[in-house]
Amino acid sequence: MTPQTIGVACCLCICLLSGIGCSTHAKRISLSRSLFYEGQLEACRDRLEKLHKSHRHDRDVTNLDLAVVDLLEGRCKDAESRLKDVRDRFDHLEQESISEKTISMWTDDTVLSYAGEDYEKILIRVYLALANLMHEGIDAESYTLQIQDKHDAVMQRLWGEKPADEKSNKFCGLPIGFYLRGMLREQTHVDYDDALRSYTQVAQLLPTCDPIRWDIERVTQGVHSQPGCGVIYVFAMVGRGPCKTESVEQPTSDALLIADRIVSAVGPYKLPPTIAPIKVPKVVVPDSDIDSVQVAVDRQPIGSTVSIADIDQLALETSQAARNQLIARAVARRVIKKATVATVKQQTSSNSLTSLGFDAAGVAWEALEKADTRCWGLLPRNIQVLRIEAPAGTHSISIAPEHFGQTGRPTAHEQVTVVDGRNTYIIGWFPDTFTAPRILTSTH
Amino acid sequence: MRADHPQSHNPKSLSSACDPLWRRRDWILGLVSMSTLAAGCRGYQYGHIVKPGAQDLVGSHEAGSEVFHPLVDESVAKLLSRQEEQCHVGPDGNPQKKTICFVCVENKMSEDIGDFKDQLYEQIDSKILESDVFRPISRRMVDAALHETRLRPDSLMVPDNMHLFTSVLQRQGAPIDYLLYAKLTSGTTQRNTSKQRDYLLTLELTNVHSGEYSKESAEIRKGYHKTALGGIWNYNPLK
Repeated sequence: MTPQTIGVACCLCICLLSGIGCSTHAKRISLSRSLFYEGQLEACRDRLEKLHKSHRHDRDVTNLDLAVVDLLEGRCKDAESRLKDVRDRFDHLEQESISEKTISMWTDDTVLSYAGEDYEKILIRVYLALANLMHEGIDAESYTLQIQDKHDAVMQRLWGEKPADEKSNKFCGLPIGFYLRGMLREQTHVDYDDALRSYTQVAQLLPTCDPIRWDIERVTQGVHSQPGCGVIYVFAMVGRGPCKTESVEQPTSDALLIADRIVSAVGPYKLPPTIAPIKVPKVVVPDSDIDSVQVAVDRQPIGSTVSIADIDQLALETSQAARNQLIARAVARRVIKKATVATVKQQTSSNSLTSLGFDAAGVAWEALEKADTRCWGLLPRNIQVLRIEAPAGTHSISIAPEHFGQTGRPTAHEQVTVVDGRNTYIIGWFPDTFTAPRILTSTH
Repeated sequence: MRADHPQSHNPKSLSSACDPLWRRRDWILGLVSMSTLAAGCRGYQYGHIVKPGAQDLVGSHEAGSEVFHPLVDESVAKLLSRQEEQCHVGPDGNPQKKTICFVCVENKMSEDIGDFKDQLYEQIDSKILESDVFRPISRRMVDAALHETRLRPDSLMVPDNMHLFTSVLQRQGAPIDYLLYAKLTSGTTQRNTSKQRDYLLTLELTNVHSGEYSKESAEIRKGYHKTALGGIWNYNPLK
């Protein structure tokens, strides 16, 4: 074996070794997710913090998950701080790095810095607004403007100038940003025109939602609340949100196999066989056994929450939109790897045994590819809201999940103080009907 | 054989080792790849202070400072000069200031003005405060009165509502003579892929005692185009 061959073989070994021992993010995060949904927040936090320290490339997504845990535990300032860090970093990572992309062509997408999915970028700002509302509410309006800016930018990038069309199954956006802005502008008792504009945008995205029509009616002719009354907003985080798993792209693998055969038949190149399938991330959404959340004030049933952010739908739609690009990159990577092995074989003019060795190394190199399954793993399936006007003073609120119109257990109870002419916020987590819900009330 | 004379089967590598042309080509290739990698690296974000008098950025999709600032300057200047003419002189020889309640900025445009709304309020309010014609009352007092009465800003012209609102302000120690509303409106003309949008800021002043009102407005027209030459094509002075 020549020194050149040894060098090339060493390079291949390094490439192979670089991928060994790397499990996917989906596998690493599964335990944390289970702990979270079982309500073991302390254990979940410990596990996430360990991941945060040990896996550099997972830091941003673990930070997002930790922000959710912080928020649930009432550490709203910490949650806001983490979310701001990730927001700024994702904004920075929107610029592409050719060096990273080049390296990813020789390894896989997990070496890229994770820049966040479009729906995650919008939701970071939504969570920032909610976290801020829960402790001081000073920056909440700014965050709602940021949600709208990001929402518009994502819509523009995904669908160009064309307006979102509900009939064409296109990504129709997240109304929650507009809703939050309308809610805050209405609270000023002055800017009803802004509130009307925001609620109208929500109504365009949710044309069949009755409560939004009532909101529009109120800001057109009525007032925020009657004298001596305030408003309670209940935000319910319902169900288990989207997560990514590794899936095999069989049609693409088959197509590549045929391409291999053609190249091998017409050219002098002996390509490594296509055995390893092409792996791509796939967004999956667990089923939910909660439709909505029933709210009662002082034991009087008031109504059920309605969804203003179908995160599951948005995640599926945006991932579908990005899927072609993802597969194209996976195929390009495979072609580069095959071409590299073929070139090395040709350069070294290796005998059949060495050639077989190179083929085996090539197959192993391809097989070590991992799909990039990094994502914000502790999101709910959807965010729902209910607006309640109540007399100023302290009230007892009961919140219970509903499935097919049947109120289930467990029910959460909370004491809430309503301020005259102001909004009070409650956030409740309802991952499923088995897990005890967690309730958080605004403190300002 | 290959082990003994590895380069004899590879004329390219031989030439790359010896030929200055090849060496130069390698250098060029290296520089090109380095520059590509450098160009692909993520950069930082920078900011700078825009010098006073420097031109504002012109918004490509919506109105921004380049529209709102001149609108405020012009409309407020018109309002103040008109009111100055009608100003009564007090016994001390100085003009008598009118107490004014600047209620709100209403956005009736087809565009969302986002964070500009509060800034427009503050700009107009500051200019009025600096004038010798009006004595505005604090915005916080206005907000508190609206909060207490639960009146909508657009319903203050109803006599009962106006009476209630002014009485609350009077109780707070801020009796008023005038109500001021600022309203932003827009009109859009579409021509194929280009459009012209006319922005109008109207200041409407109403005397709460007599019901008399006056209006001043300022307008800016702005063109939006899909191509850089759209402006020249649609607004060609030689046409």
